Amino acid sequence: MPMLLEIEGLEVRYGRTHAVRGVSLGVATAEVVTVLGANGAGKSSLLKAIAGAVTPAGGRIIFDGADVTALSAPERVKRGLVLVPEGRQILVSLTVHENLLMGAYGRRDGDVARDIEGIYARFSNLAARRDMLASVLSGGEQQMLAISRALLARPRLMMLDEPSLGLSPLLVGRLFELVRELNRDGLAILLVEQNTRMALRTASRGYVMELGRIVLDGPADRLADNEALAAAYLGSH
Amino acid sequence: MSAAAGVRGAHPLVVSAGVAVGCVAAIAGLAALPGGATLAQQVVSGLMLGGIYVAVAVAFTLTIGVLNFLNFTIPTMFMLTGMVAWGLARHGLPFTEAWHWALALPPGIVVAILASLVVERFTFRYLKTRHGDATEHAIPLVSSLGFLLIFEHLVLIVLGSDAQSFPVRFRLDWQVGPLVVGLPQLASLLLSLAIVFWLSWLLARTRTGRALRSIAESPDTATLLGVEVTRIVPVVFLLSGLLCGVAGALFVVNYSDVSPFMGDHVGTKAIAAMVLGGLGSIWGAIAGGLLVGLLETLGIHFFGGDAAQVVVWTVLLLAIVLRPQGLFGGSRIGKGKL
Ligand SMILES: Nc1ncnc2c1ncn2[C@@H]1O[C@H](COP(=O)(O)OP(=O)(O)O)[C@@H](O)[C@H]1O
Ligand SMILES: [Mg+2]
Repeated sequence: MPMLLEIEGLEVRYGRTHAVRGVSLGVATAEVVTVLGANGAGKSSLLKAIAGAVTPAGGRIIFDGADVTALSAPERVKRGLVLVPEGRQILVSLTVHENLLMGAYGRRDGDVARDIEGIYARFSNLAARRDMLASVLSGGEQQMLAISRALLARPRLMMLDEPSLGLSPLLVGRLFELVRELNRDGLAILLVEQNTRMALRTASRGYVMELGRIVLDGPADRLADNEALAAAYLGSH
Repeated sequence: MSAAAGVRGAHPLVVSAGVAVGCVAAIAGLAALPGGATLAQQVVSGLMLGGIYVAVAVAFTLTIGVLNFLNFTIPTMFMLTGMVAWGLARHGLPFTEAWHWALALPPGIVVAILASLVVERFTFRYLKTRHGDATEHAIPLVSSLGFLLIFEHLVLIVLGSDAQSFPVRFRLDWQVGPLVVGLPQLASLLLSLAIVFWLSWLLARTRTGRALRSIAESPDTATLLGVEVTRIVPVVFLLSGLLCGVAGALFVVNYSDVSPFMGDHVGTKAIAAMVLGGLGSIWGAIAGGLLVGLLETLGIHFFGGDAAQVVVWTVLLLAIVLRPQGLFGGSRIGKGKL
């Protein structure tokens, strides 16, 4: 399978903290890959480095055959490499509609209005609140807005950082259903999750991070059966 | 819901139109009273002076609102417009008529804009990329102070430290009943208000405005959405340079006097106006600027020049103590204010 995203020997440092230590991984076109690990393992740092929000101290990021390591975050967004950050990062001083428009910020084509109408048709809660400040949205609606906003950038690879955090079990179910749906439409997804069980059920492959390193990887069903992983991470869920 | 919240809920343009009509009606009413004509005349001059404070206060509001940065060079941009225009008029342009002298003002405004962009290039952008969070705000503050001193002293060296006067006054008076309204003054006041209104439209309705508001709330999120923050930040400096330049030109048209230190007084008043109106609110800066102008002019009228400053600042301090969030400011102080 052709690789859409390839990471080689990625390093992230914050002063003395060595958050990501020589991580290599890949995501194929239209594949769902999950990265698991305890708090502080370096998962968010990894995604931020791929998105260009932090500058890696070493390693290479290849996206769609091109080395994007030196590109700014906005340039990576334009190429279709989009991150839905931890905590959703909705712009609460903007309206719902303005948040969606910001998702399409880098686009110069004329289809933005049509695409936003498509989002409204899909998420009626967002449509009903389009002219309200995004701060009025519930946690679940905020997550829908965050994903919708990322979709408006026309991503080829969407990175999701703990999207299920703080959602009720019902909403978590809907969220993963949405992830599968987007993937069926051809979107590649790199999913960081604490909800290991759901993540492994959705992804085709997984990586497990510990203290900045990948300590385990393989097909999702094999990881789900892995006893060491079960003891370390599945026990808490 | 409080009255203030109700006012905030209405469209600012509607509110402004209401306030404008109210002002004109109040002035007319005052002028019609026996002996009220002098007072009405003071109100007219107060609004003119307020127009200057409005433009400078909005310039401060913009950099604080978007960049969380108190730009100390803003009074310098204001001064540069006046001094460069005077220098051009005095030494450069071979003109004698008042409207010829007015030709020196646009280049003065352009110099203010260019100087503002220089400040962005060599303080804000350069330093921001080289320092972490702790120094992120302190260093642009200090380096903008540095630029203030550099610009002031460059002007001192080139044009001298004396207060200067445009030899020809900008006069073309319009007699409205007992009132005298200077047309150049009125035109420049309307121009500065028009620029402020255009700016608030830009912030509220355009792609660039949304990007600026996103940066105001969270530069990191804006970046992840595809906003090149380093490309948008100069827009803030360009706009604040433009506002200061227009304010400087308005000052020249009203008073014909300039000096290398003319920015200090206007700068402090504009900061007061911004705080009075509500930190980070453009509508607050407009209201605050006009109020401070009125307070000052009426203070001088009733109490004389020196006492007026005491009156103005006492009223401001009281207002700030009684309503720390300002007239239009929400309770949120911090990021995401525009
Ligand atoms: N901005 C930062 N500055 C300093 N240290 C950080 C920063 N962000 C994360 N870290 C540290 O890097 C390590 C990895 O954090 P993170 O990538 O957030 O892990 P995870 O997402 O797996 O919980 C942690 O030790 C964390 O404290
Ligand atoms: Mg994390």
